Amino acid sequence: MSKAGSMQPRERRLSLLVTVLAFALPVIFVLVPLAIFLVYSFFSVDQGTIVYAPTLGNYVRFFTDPIFLPVFWNTIVLCVSVAVICILLAYPAAYFLTTLRGRWRYALLMLLLVPLLMSYVIKIYAIRSILGLNGFLNKALVAIGILQQPSTLFVFNMNAILLTLSLLLIPFAILPIFLSLERIPQTLLRASDDLGASGLQTFLRITLPLSLPGVASAASFVFVLAIGDFLTPQMVGGISGFTFGRILYSQFGTAYNWPFGAALSVALAIVVICAILIGERFGRSRGTSV
Amino acid sequence: MNQNTDLLTLRSVSKSYGKVPVLHDIDLSIRDGEFLTVLGPSGSGKTTVLRLIGGLEPLTAGEIRLDGQDISRMPINKRPFNTVFQDYALFPHMTVSGNVGYGLSVRHVQRREIARRVAEALELVQLGRFADRFPAQLSGGQRQRVALARALICQPRLILLDEPLAALDLELRRQMQEFLKSIQREIKTTFLFVTHDQEEAIGMADRICVMQAGHIRQLGTPHELYYKPNCEFVARFFGENNLVAGKLGPVQGEQRPIETALGRLVCSISDQPHLKAAPDGANAFAAFRPEALHLADATEGDNRFSGTIADLAFAGSSTVATIAAGSDTAAQRLRLRIPSRIDGSALKAGETVSLSFAPHEGHLVLA
Repeated sequence: MSKAGSMQPRERRLSLLVTVLAFALPVIFVLVPLAIFLVYSFFSVDQGTIVYAPTLGNYVRFFTDPIFLPVFWNTIVLCVSVAVICILLAYPAAYFLTTLRGRWRYALLMLLLVPLLMSYVIKIYAIRSILGLNGFLNKALVAIGILQQPSTLFVFNMNAILLTLSLLLIPFAILPIFLSLERIPQTLLRASDDLGASGLQTFLRITLPLSLPGVASAASFVFVLAIGDFLTPQMVGGISGFTFGRILYSQFGTAYNWPFGAALSVALAIVVICAILIGERFGRSRGTSV
Repeated sequence: MNQNTDLLTLRSVSKSYGKVPVLHDIDLSIRDGEFLTVLGPSGSGKTTVLRLIGGLEPLTAGEIRLDGQDISRMPINKRPFNTVFQDYALFPHMTVSGNVGYGLSVRHVQRREIARRVAEALELVQLGRFADRFPAQLSGGQRQRVALARALICQPRLILLDEPLAALDLELRRQMQEFLKSIQREIKTTFLFVTHDQEEAIGMADRICVMQAGHIRQLGTPHELYYKPNCEFVARFFGENNLVAGKLGPVQGEQRPIETALGRLVCSISDQPHLKAAPDGANAFAAFRPEALHLADATEGDNRFSGTIADLAFAGSSTVATIAAGSDTAAQRLRLRIPSRIDGSALKAGETVSLSFAPHEGHLVLA
């Protein structure tokens, strides 16, 4: 703080203001709302009005009612599947990108990321029309003879949510994997060749382990985005595709039970925080310098 | 391990990147068991030579022969050579022993055999205690030694070292030079060492190959390069030197005079047939080292001239004087190196001194 002593009073006030803002903004816009949610989850509702008396009723209902826990669990399984599908599709794409030279590499990367700029709802509509009874997927499968007649397997159920979420979230998986692959120094791969490793050995023993941090952050990214989504299940899930996000939405939007919705949100937030922590744990590479 | 047999031969090797040529028609033989240093300024093509031998780059023309067999098109992972990279290129996600054992484990050597040889290699580079550390937990010198252990564990025919000491500080670099040389003597493997640092080259090499602008300028022992450089570039690049331009006079046995701005200088031409064959009046340089120059009593006789001390620089064990010699129209700056004395140098700036060098300590290079 010896530096602050030499500052003019006005300068000092300005730097104090900047410091306060830097801390205040995340507190006001992130931590305070989260805290309010937490507090609300201990209230209850009586005939449409919130009763401000602390109770554990919401949590008891969440754990005892036979509806919520299975949906909660199924949603987690669904989102883990989405993350796995995204990684499996994104890794080869990202790897291919890193084999390209110079301008092509970034041009193609931009092209893969363009869908992020489009409206979420429009993308869901587009995918729904592809998956639907008269959609491209069914027509293609019938045309090549895999299906006898169009199937309802791909729309208004869990499969539809899985496919749609995967398609929507792939760009979020490509980017971190691409970045982690690109950061691997070429000399490490040459050193591996030089020591007698085959191309496959170099990939499995050098490239893959060194890109795992990117894979971990991609997976936690996709998982977190998928589990918080309610619009996609709402639009392509139909009746059978019921996810935790939809329950949450209905508590706030239709049932108007904010305290119970808040309790469900807290449960979801715990899962999200765990996912981020796990991603961070595996994302940290041992010894980043070469 | 016979130092007289050739291990590796480069024949008419050329390399271009696109349309830019970096190596022109290189011929080079590496002897079995020697420590050969490729020395050159940056952009001379020295690293390219190493990369071509290692298989990191394809040749544009020519061939590389190992024991007489053409290996020009052999893939990198099949060549019995290993490289110590400039930035070490240690695998950051593996421990020291993982790194060192890598070359064996990709060849599916048995685990116990790997463990035994890794321990042996780490013992050799004095890193036994560090087997379970990760590269990020090591100092620069230690990483360097891990890289060396990793390269030599596969018992390659040739170890390629790409300026491995460039990133180390001076003291550590000196230690590593001695260390590398002693290891090379111990394992008797051929080392090809690339550097731009001529002191490093002199200190370690059995032979030095001096490169410039994609050509090999001279190949010889450090002693040969220092006392019998065959061209102006080597004479100037390799160690401090005084070069005085002039025209050759008639051959006098093992010596030959040269008429220069400093008068007639007589220099040795022993074992240098191209200097014997050069015509009278050909442009050449008289070259003599700063430490070969002496303060003389008389101004008459061979290789004697006078000059004014322009500057004196104390350099520890020796003192270097910059001397302005010759006439005003053909001024010549020379360097004189004399041992330092505790009571101050015998020389003073501005003083006019008489200088000479012995004919056998001077040499000639053609311009």
